[in-house]
Amino acid sequence: MSFLEVFQYTKQDSVIHQLDPRSKMVLAITSAAISLMFLNIVPLLIILLCQIPILFLAKSVRRWLRSMKGLSFLLIFIIVFNTLLSTVANPFSYSVALTIRLIALMTSFSIFFLTVHPDELSQAMIQMRIRFEFAFAMSMAMRYVPTLAHEAYSIMDAQKARGVELDKGNLLKRIRNMIPIIVPLIIVSIRRALSVAESMESRAFGVSQNRTYLKRLEFQRRDWIVAFFSIAVLLYLIYFLSFFGLPDWMLWGFSF
Amino acid sequence: MPLIEFADFSFKYVGADSLALKRINLTINEGEYVVITGPSGCGKTTLCRAINGLVPHFHRGYIGGNVIIDGINTRTSSVANLSSIAGMVFQNPSNQLVTLNVERELAFGPENLGVDPAEITNRINEIVELLFLENLLEKHPHEMSGGEQQRVALAATLAMKPQILVADEPTSNLDPKNAEHILEIISSLNKRGMTVVLIEHRLDLVAQDATRIVLMNAGRIVADGKPREILVDDICQEIGVGIPKATQVYKGLKKRGIQLPSVPLSGEELAYIVQEAVLK
Repeated sequence: MSFLEVFQYTKQDSVIHQLDPRSKMVLAITSAAISLMFLNIVPLLIILLCQIPILFLAKSVRRWLRSMKGLSFLLIFIIVFNTLLSTVANPFSYSVALTIRLIALMTSFSIFFLTVHPDELSQAMIQMRIRFEFAFAMSMAMRYVPTLAHEAYSIMDAQKARGVELDKGNLLKRIRNMIPIIVPLIIVSIRRALSVAESMESRAFGVSQNRTYLKRLEFQRRDWIVAFFSIAVLLYLIYFLSFFGLPDWMLWGFSF
Repeated sequence: MPLIEFADFSFKYVGADSLALKRINLTINEGEYVVITGPSGCGKTTLCRAINGLVPHFHRGYIGGNVIIDGINTRTSSVANLSSIAGMVFQNPSNQLVTLNVERELAFGPENLGVDPAEITNRINEIVELLFLENLLEKHPHEMSGGEQQRVALAATLAMKPQILVADEPTSNLDPKNAEHILEIISSLNKRGMTVVLIEHRLDLVAQDATRIVLMNAGRIVADGKPREILVDDICQEIGVGIPKATQVYKGLKKRGIQLPSVPLSGEELAYIVQEAVLK
């Protein structure tokens, strides 16, 4: 699952990390939208080449490359199958373009998720007038992932010690083997949820209509610049495409 | 006026067969350090929950009598309202840490109450210094040891500036060294004037600092008094409460006809008393 790393926050001290999550959201959405506007190799490559400097600024190129390496099998798979099964005129050229588009899309969102701390994300949601309880539920889900994973492992160990053979048998058997893990995990989680609720209640969760926030996000000049620039590029491209279409050199593709 | 007052308080959880608390009368004054102990299922946790209103507002059930905290009847007040009077620390530290880093955790309670951000920052700085949390501020709960987690949970409760600290076996998931550290912190808070109500089994760790021990059994208070009075009482053995080794020695000597001049609560005290007696 190493390719999922590109969607996981990493702590870095970079210009991109310091941007407001909302401006990065605009950047991610516009660059994803732009990638979806094209289906030719050349423009998609240009988009990708524009995204790489942002990754450099975020000091995350190496992480991105590692994930792409993890993903390479899937990408080759997409190219091969699309080429064999597609009914368009130049199937190979088409599938290469599709693959680059997938990479560009993933990169758009990975720039967002790599550089936005889940806390900042929930704070951004709150300031976008999403109710605190919902935003907080999301950040709590993130908080308890490692705890529950830990719990799942100890349940697995306990069940193995009692002779449950988890990795034996065919697929169906293996799925059935998971039942003695899942059931206790659910029970333990419900109990934990009650105890967490008790402690949150004791700390006045959800009581005040005027909840304050230690750190409020503030849109700064650089955030306005990023947001404006992203939207301007998107609008310009829409205008250009609908009135002029792509120039010939951008339509280049393999002839098979 | 007493800070905590139980008046004929009884409670039965929904679905339970018997009363968890039976006609409890208990008065705790400001500045006391009360240790509540007794066998499991004796009602000590319910008693603590009743102090900050979790009983009857979070854990529902049938209720008789009243609990008055700092002049407020818990029947008519909410848990949230009581949370800035009585702060609660629970057994399991990881269930009390609900945010992604320690700084947010400390801010969580005051934020909920609508405290001004500048004031929250002040409180955090104060507490970080008091509980030695400097190098933990940026950490994820999962990156900390149990002892550190419990220290943060304690700090997060203190950030709400409660008058009373209620701690329900805060050391039961910790190793002896961390347990001792948490209890030292609690005792130092008491010396700064905070009223403490603590559930603890390991009386040898708290007997010296506590100003009062309350023994419970089967939903009732069976003994209540100064540690040196309660721990020599035979009722401790009867209900299965472990007393400090030094106090056991005192009782053993008494049975053999040797009366030490005072009751020791620790090995150190026992050594001192014996030394005095021998030198005479």
